[in-house]
Amino acid sequence: MSKHHLGEFEEIVMLTVAILHGRAYGVAIIDEIESRLDRKVSIGSLQTVLRRLENKGYLDSEFGEATKQRGGKRKRYFTVTNFGKQALQEAKDQRLSLWNAIPTIAFNPPS
Amino acid sequence: MSHSQYPRPPKFLLRFFRWYCHPDYQEDIEGDLLERFEQRLNSEGVKKARWGFYKDVLRLLRPGIIRSWYPHQLYHYTMFENNLTIALRNLKKHRSYAAINMLGLTLGIASAILIFIFVKYHLSFDTFHTDTDRIYRITTELHLEDIDLTWGVPSPMAQAIRNDFTFAEEVAMVTHLSDKLITIPSGQDQEKFKESIAFAEPAFFNIFNFPLARGNQHTVLLEPNTAIVTERTAQKYFSEEDPMGKTIRLGNRIDFVITGILKDLPTNTDRPQEIYLPYANLREYSPGLDEEGWWYSTNRGRQCFVRLKSTFSSTEVNQSLLTIPEKYYTEEEAQIWNFTLQPLSDIHFNPDLGGYVEKKNLWALALIGLFLVITACVNFINLATAKALSRSKEIGVRKVLGGLRRQLFWQFIAETTLITMLALVVAIILAYIVLPYVNQLFDLPLSLQLFQDIQLLTFLSLLLLFAIFLSGAYPGLIMAGFKPVQALKGKLTQQHIGGFSLRRGLVITQFTISQLLIIGTIIIANQMRYAQQADMGFQQEAIVMLPRPEGGISAMDALHNQVSQLSGVKQATFCNAAPASGLNPTTAIRFDTRTEEESFLIYLRAGDHRYVPTFGLELIAGRNLQPSDTVREYLLNETAVKKLGVAVNQEVIGKNVTINGKVGIIVGVVKDFHNKSLHEAIDPIYITTLSSNYGSCAVKLNLADLSSTMAALENTWKEISPNQVYECDFLDEQIAQFYELDNLMLRLIQIFASIAIIIGCLGLYGLVLFMASQKVKEIGVRKVLGAGVGNILWLFGQECARLLIIAFGIAAPLGWWLMQNWLENFTYRIKIEPEIFALAMVTTFLVATLTAGYQSLKASLANPVDSLRNE
Repeated sequence: MSKHHLGEFEEIVMLTVAILHGRAYGVAIIDEIESRLDRKVSIGSLQTVLRRLENKGYLDSEFGEATKQRGGKRKRYFTVTNFGKQALQEAKDQRLSLWNAIPTIAFNPPS
Repeated sequence: MSHSQYPRPPKFLLRFFRWYCHPDYQEDIEGDLLERFEQRLNSEGVKKARWGFYKDVLRLLRPGIIRSWYPHQLYHYTMFENNLTIALRNLKKHRSYAAINMLGLTLGIASAILIFIFVKYHLSFDTFHTDTDRIYRITTELHLEDIDLTWGVPSPMAQAIRNDFTFAEEVAMVTHLSDKLITIPSGQDQEKFKESIAFAEPAFFNIFNFPLARGNQHTVLLEPNTAIVTERTAQKYFSEEDPMGKTIRLGNRIDFVITGILKDLPTNTDRPQEIYLPYANLREYSPGLDEEGWWYSTNRGRQCFVRLKSTFSSTEVNQSLLTIPEKYYTEEEAQIWNFTLQPLSDIHFNPDLGGYVEKKNLWALALIGLFLVITACVNFINLATAKALSRSKEIGVRKVLGGLRRQLFWQFIAETTLITMLALVVAIILAYIVLPYVNQLFDLPLSLQLFQDIQLLTFLSLLLLFAIFLSGAYPGLIMAGFKPVQALKGKLTQQHIGGFSLRRGLVITQFTISQLLIIGTIIIANQMRYAQQADMGFQQEAIVMLPRPEGGISAMDALHNQVSQLSGVKQATFCNAAPASGLNPTTAIRFDTRTEEESFLIYLRAGDHRYVPTFGLELIAGRNLQPSDTVREYLLNETAVKKLGVAVNQEVIGKNVTINGKVGIIVGVVKDFHNKSLHEAIDPIYITTLSSNYGSCAVKLNLADLSSTMAALENTWKEISPNQVYECDFLDEQIAQFYELDNLMLRLIQIFASIAIIIGCLGLYGLVLFMASQKVKEIGVRKVLGAGVGNILWLFGQECARLLIIAFGIAAPLGWWLMQNWLENFTYRIKIEPEIFALAMVTTFLVATLTAGYQSLKASLANPVDSLRNE
């Protein structure tokens, strides 16, 4: 097993952070996942994953400016680190190599 | 657009979130939460938004998000160490305060421990059996003029339950007899013992958990003429020999072979009999105690126990017991007789059914214990708040250096804990030392096993917590609340530490408790004196009760002849019991030509023609009994005449009366005398000659040269009745035993009242000590301006006096009400006189003066130069 193992939800969160590129904070990530994947995400589950990924070094974060929105609370913007990018790449490669290994006949049975 | 007009998320949820969330994550996640809430508000409305917020907050409560709870362990430990050091230093600095607090708490806690084990001992009675909640005793109710309750049952009760009902898992008859003669036939010099014995059916040992040390549990008491005895009894009879197979003899008549040895009985049982004999032998021993099919008499020694099947409730069973009278009695009698279940757990506490002590007495005692602890804690609060002022600098500095209110509070609690723990340890040691004396004084088998007794340990921990927080919390809060600037400038006054009013209130509480206890002590003591010195209506001094000698009427005559000739003897009579006695057999009475029996039962006093003169009973009509056993003559007491509905005593003389089925003539009426303790009213009584019933010989003595007379009595008696055990009791001592429990309560309250007073005095002493040190300057100034010692003393005195009077105002009515309730237990009782209250007042006043006097005097005699020289 590779040392950069990513869970399914972890992978989705990291990809979404990458998609949002610089605008990835809690609510935005949730909205993005909900609109793209039609999947309900709670703040609780998202935040635990974000903190875990940050601890592992896949994500980095910094505070934005305080605004009048959100009761004056600052947003925390996440970005994917190089190390994270590597992990994502590895996950993608693994998937692809698995896809490629499927014999043609398996999904396209001769009629 | 103003946010404040928008609905906001629930505040408490937000606060909850902030409380649990890791501080590093808190800001942005809170922002997210709010943003989501606003989103939902716009799209879905208030309700859904709130609900969503609620779900979000709950879902955030997970390990990755919440804060860590143990961040500063090391820091806490240092603080703890520091608190301890400061606490120790404070104790050393204020030795006298610490000593007063410790002493008070020690006394209070030690009393609480003793009361706890006393109460626990009584609550534990007969709880060691299995399925105690299903064990019941059958009791008899006689619905006469009043409902008459007894725990004895008619002979066929157990048999009837076995035949007629299915509710009983086990049912057993047992008959207790006390003071029965047991001899060991095999011994050379026949030793004689007076023992309490029980005739029991085998099932008795299936109901009660009295395990055998030796022998077969299943065949116990099945065979007639077998016996089981406790290890202790076996040891007493046969010392080192093997008791199994040995013979014991009951009443010089019936032999029993020992087939089993019971383990020694626990002390907390109401069945203390140590010799069990088969029920099959009861009829042979005493035919009257086991009459087949005879439903019309009960005997208090003869009881019936059942263990119900678990499918039956006691209410159901009580319902089915109603059918017993219908089946076994005539229609008329069935109206009178009734049987009900009494739970095993009720037996020790029910005063109407021979219970030893009422639960309310135990609770009263527990309350006194609580009072004592509270008084001790009050001392603590008093002294601590008084002392608080002198610590204001320390607290100010601590606060300026960043000490939190919470930390200061816990620091004070730490100090309290230290003192309380020390007090607890000393109290436990004290309790260990005192317990043997308590046991001796009150004839109790209490034991203190600190580390085996989980209940006691729990109790002590709770007591410790209670004492710590009761005494520490208030002063702690006060001190922690000091404003640092004021504290450092020394501008704090009494007002800031709860003022005098609080401390006054506490001292009043203490005085109230002490005075209540004093009033209680005086009233109980007075009632006891009244009960023991009251004119019982007969002579009780200088009368000694001997057992009836063995061997019929001739032996009685011989004894009487010889005893009468002794120089120290005035008179002697044979009887079943003294006028006042615990032995009170009753029977039915039918008067004159009336066709129906009276609706009350009449009490028997069997005695020969010398009964009336020996006991000094007063005949108020007619004449005394003739010395004959065959001519039926009756004497009635006034109450009996009144109950018969006859107005003039003279009118019953010469009338026929049928008592216990025997027709006779009423020859006289005696003045009422107390036939039971003063707790109870005088019963209707008849006196008649009935030599078969005589169990004792009452001898009236000349008190001069008592010891030689007593020796002569013993010799005479032993000559006539060599096979029996000689016993003699003075009648007044027997009567004093009626009040055993009352006397026990009296002594307990006396002791605890003294302890409460001591603790209260300690508090007062400490307070005066403090006042004196606070008022040094004031006293100095007053003296310089010409005040005399008297004026200064009055300064202290008026304060104490005022508190005392207020306390008295509370204690007097409360004490009157409580003691009036207690006195209701007595049919014949003293009135609560105002003198009693005056006495209580004067006592506390004197004690208070003595305690406060020395310090006040010292303060007022001090030279003003010393106190005013330095500023």
